[in-house]
Amino acid sequence: MIPFTINGKEVEGEEGWTILEVARWQGIDIPTLCHHGALEPYGACRLCVVEVDDGRRTRVVISCMYPIKAGIKVQTETPRVANVRRWIVQLLLDESPEAPKIQELAKAFGVTPSRFKKSGVDFACHLCGLCVRACEEVVGVQAVTFGNRGLRKEVTSPFHAVSKECLGCGTCVYICPTGAMDQMFQQVKG
Amino acid sequence: MNTESKMGIFLCECGGKISNRIDLAHVCDLLRYEPWGHLGIYPYPCLAPGLAAMQQEIRSKGLNRILIGGCSSRLMKKRFTAGLAPAGIEKHQVEMINLKDHVAAVHEASPQELARKAAALISGGLASLKLLEPYEPVPLSFEGPALIVGGGISGFAAARELARQGMESIIFAKAQTPERVLDDLHRTFPGCRLFCGDLGELLREVFTTPEVKVMPEQPIDYIVGGVGDYRLGLRQPDGSVTEVPGAAIVVALDQEYGPANIDYIGGGEQVCDLLELEDRLVEGVEMKAGKVVFYVNSPEHGPAAQKFAAVAAWRDSLLLTRENPQMKPTVLYPANITLPLTGADLVEARAHGIGLQSYAPAVHPVVQSGYLSFVSPADNLEHDLEWDTLVVPGVPGDPAGQAQELLRWLPIYPENGGRLKKSHIKFWPDQLPDESLFFTGSAGGACDVHDVLQQGKKAARGVLRLREKALQGKLVSPVVVHVDKDLCEGCGLCTEICPCGGVEHVKPGSGPVPRDVDNHLCSGGGTCAATCPYEAIKVLNSTAQQLEARIKAIVTQMQENEILGFVCGWGGLASAEQAAVKGLTYPQGIYLIPVNCLGSLDPFILSMAFLNGVKGILLAGCTPTHSCHYHYGIDHCWYRVNAMKKLLSLAGLERRRIALGYVEVNEPESLVRMVESQMDTLEQLPSLPRDDKTKARLWAIHATMHRPRVRWVLGTSLRRPTEKVFPGSQFNAVDADETMLDVLKEEYTVSRIFKALTDQALNPPELARVLEEPVKNLTPILTDMVKDGRIFTKGWEKGYPLYALGKK
Repeated sequence: MIPFTINGKEVEGEEGWTILEVARWQGIDIPTLCHHGALEPYGACRLCVVEVDDGRRTRVVISCMYPIKAGIKVQTETPRVANVRRWIVQLLLDESPEAPKIQELAKAFGVTPSRFKKSGVDFACHLCGLCVRACEEVVGVQAVTFGNRGLRKEVTSPFHAVSKECLGCGTCVYICPTGAMDQMFQQVKG
Repeated sequence: MNTESKMGIFLCECGGKISNRIDLAHVCDLLRYEPWGHLGIYPYPCLAPGLAAMQQEIRSKGLNRILIGGCSSRLMKKRFTAGLAPAGIEKHQVEMINLKDHVAAVHEASPQELARKAAALISGGLASLKLLEPYEPVPLSFEGPALIVGGGISGFAAARELARQGMESIIFAKAQTPERVLDDLHRTFPGCRLFCGDLGELLREVFTTPEVKVMPEQPIDYIVGGVGDYRLGLRQPDGSVTEVPGAAIVVALDQEYGPANIDYIGGGEQVCDLLELEDRLVEGVEMKAGKVVFYVNSPEHGPAAQKFAAVAAWRDSLLLTRENPQMKPTVLYPANITLPLTGADLVEARAHGIGLQSYAPAVHPVVQSGYLSFVSPADNLEHDLEWDTLVVPGVPGDPAGQAQELLRWLPIYPENGGRLKKSHIKFWPDQLPDESLFFTGSAGGACDVHDVLQQGKKAARGVLRLREKALQGKLVSPVVVHVDKDLCEGCGLCTEICPCGGVEHVKPGSGPVPRDVDNHLCSGGGTCAATCPYEAIKVLNSTAQQLEARIKAIVTQMQENEILGFVCGWGGLASAEQAAVKGLTYPQGIYLIPVNCLGSLDPFILSMAFLNGVKGILLAGCTPTHSCHYHYGIDHCWYRVNAMKKLLSLAGLERRRIALGYVEVNEPESLVRMVESQMDTLEQLPSLPRDDKTKARLWAIHATMHRPRVRWVLGTSLRRPTEKVFPGSQFNAVDADETMLDVLKEEYTVSRIFKALTDQALNPPELARVLEEPVKNLTPILTDMVKDGRIFTKGWEKGYPLYALGKK
């Protein structure tokens, strides 16, 4: 067992476990968006950031992928962490102001829509990749993929066409945190 | 697997998402009398520490049945089966109850109230797990040659690949020499003779290699057996049948081209179609030198066929110019298709003086004597093309050769548009065993000869993979479905309904022969079991008995005004889960029970629920035909619900106690409306009367649903939405419905008589009084029952026979 501390509490875990997993098991809440129990961690949303002191210096890292090490001191609710999370939630909220899960997060962080509000889109995709990963890891097909790169990156069906592989199981719609998959589902399924 | 069941219940808090809405401690309290070996509440069982804790409990307490009360089975089951596999837990030993999406997130009641519902659903799951039948996968042998049937060109590619890897195969072909195969090639692949350089080599290799046996194509009488052990019955010219055994079957079927109708063009010898042109080339007929125009018309066959025809025309023009440089061919093709020619092809075309000309498809080109006028898309002007010979493409026709025989015996189905497809079912890949039916050729979709040869090679590799697995001892039959040979009468309903081709075929004309199951093709959907008139089929990982136990356990904990909801694993279940994601709510009085497909819901399950006192039932499945993932499962369910409604009204109860609804995966709002509406309807109805008379009637309904005749009529009367006629001698909807009603009425009365006679022997007037039916309705049925030996005349009383159950 590897001993370390989270918010001053002595905890321990097996090798290979992540900070997030141990924290949740201990009942310490860390907000997440792109993390899901059924899938491998992905590290897209950065909402699960925590401060880790490894004895030499203190860093802000994502807890969903950071493997636990003996003796590290993890802080989940420092001003530095809160600041990072608030900014992430702010941008997410401006992108899809109507998504229930995002509204929930905004309420928790006391964030309101800013002047950067993206107009005309209520349920925009955040590219968290849950749908793409669920389709591949859980269902076992690749009916939903990422298209383009950089600013133009989007979730779509391969070649923007109706996917022959799609089973129409709706796993992607179920797992989508913003509701953006509702429309894409029609395109994928045909 | 240990048959002694030891259950572990793991409840998930889901970081408050479940525990804030459901009082989990209260759930544990309610479950205290249930037979479990372990019961615990965990913050996140799905994460690594949770899985480690679960493994520890399983090992220390020897648990062999795991029930997880948490979230969606569709999403999480894989995670748990993978995570618990080190502790020796198999997939079917894990049961998940979706507390999050079916209880916590969608109801507004208090945590205590919801705890009651959660506990009821969990005890249902426990009751089902308790009846889980042990089943061990059976290793399969894989010996003997691969049988390549259908006569398609891809079969030769498959045979070569198999031979190169040292596997024997038998190929059934019309032509017995490589040359004859090539001579006939243009019937299925026009224009490919020139490019058969590789193909010629391939064929010569296949015909000379000792691993491949080429046999003449013979009519197929039957195909029986399963993966590793197929037997093909071939009808010989003298009428006898020889049996050829094989380990695997590769179906190679190509689409055949028919002659085009060129009468309307006229022109005599100067006008022909591609097939005729190639016939002339095969026979070495001298061709008149000059301008040859290949006119790619036939827009009615679609752009894919036009494209195919244009490429064939291009190849034939190359062939013509190579044989006779005096030939000046031009391919005239519609501008809306793109020619799949490479730069090198175009260079070659130029070198041989082959013209490639497109025409605007909006204006139909006009054929004249010696000229053809068309509109060029480049300048919108009409141009003339001179011709000495005019060639039009052949007409794509039906799949060649043995297609009809194979369609009968293998799970290959014609789709709209005449294409053949393996099966229209769409399942998660891990719901299906390894691919073991290999279907190749252009009958599955128009494609080039190279593609088809690749398909054949791929099929051969599939066969080799199976052989490899068998060598390692890993080729196992999951043994999901068991057919009781004492009960089976060989009626064949299951074969028709099976979506995966898993139910093995019987030889025709051999009378009632018990069926077997090719478990390697079986996906364990269970629609076959639900439809079997004799209840001879059992799907071992979810038997009707398990579902029955689950419903009984849930119903005993239900309150007045609460109802059962059956949701299919696709439309119904997904939209129910989606409702939770979208934050919709509905009354907590509905207990959702997921099943694979509503078609796998045995008719007696519905009657059994009513017999156990449930007030009403709602069924939510996929929209018929296009959304159903099974073989018309939802349509089968419709007939069962219809029968149930008829029986309810025969028993004097309201038809609207049972309702079937259709919902798509992403339409949670529809599901919520459905639930609210059915609950409103049922609220206006009284609870089922609990008196003996009603109970006797419900018992009779239940018994009727078990009657083979009723089940047979339910299975055979299915009219698929695509069909225009009704099966059998039923001519219209009213006829069909009345036939069903007559059968139900009769069988219902039989069941009621049976029930009345279980207590005491009665004479007809007494029976009539008990059943509240006129004597004249009962007399013919009683006579029939005596004839069938179900009842006998025990004695005589006041001039009436006294009937009793059993035989003399």
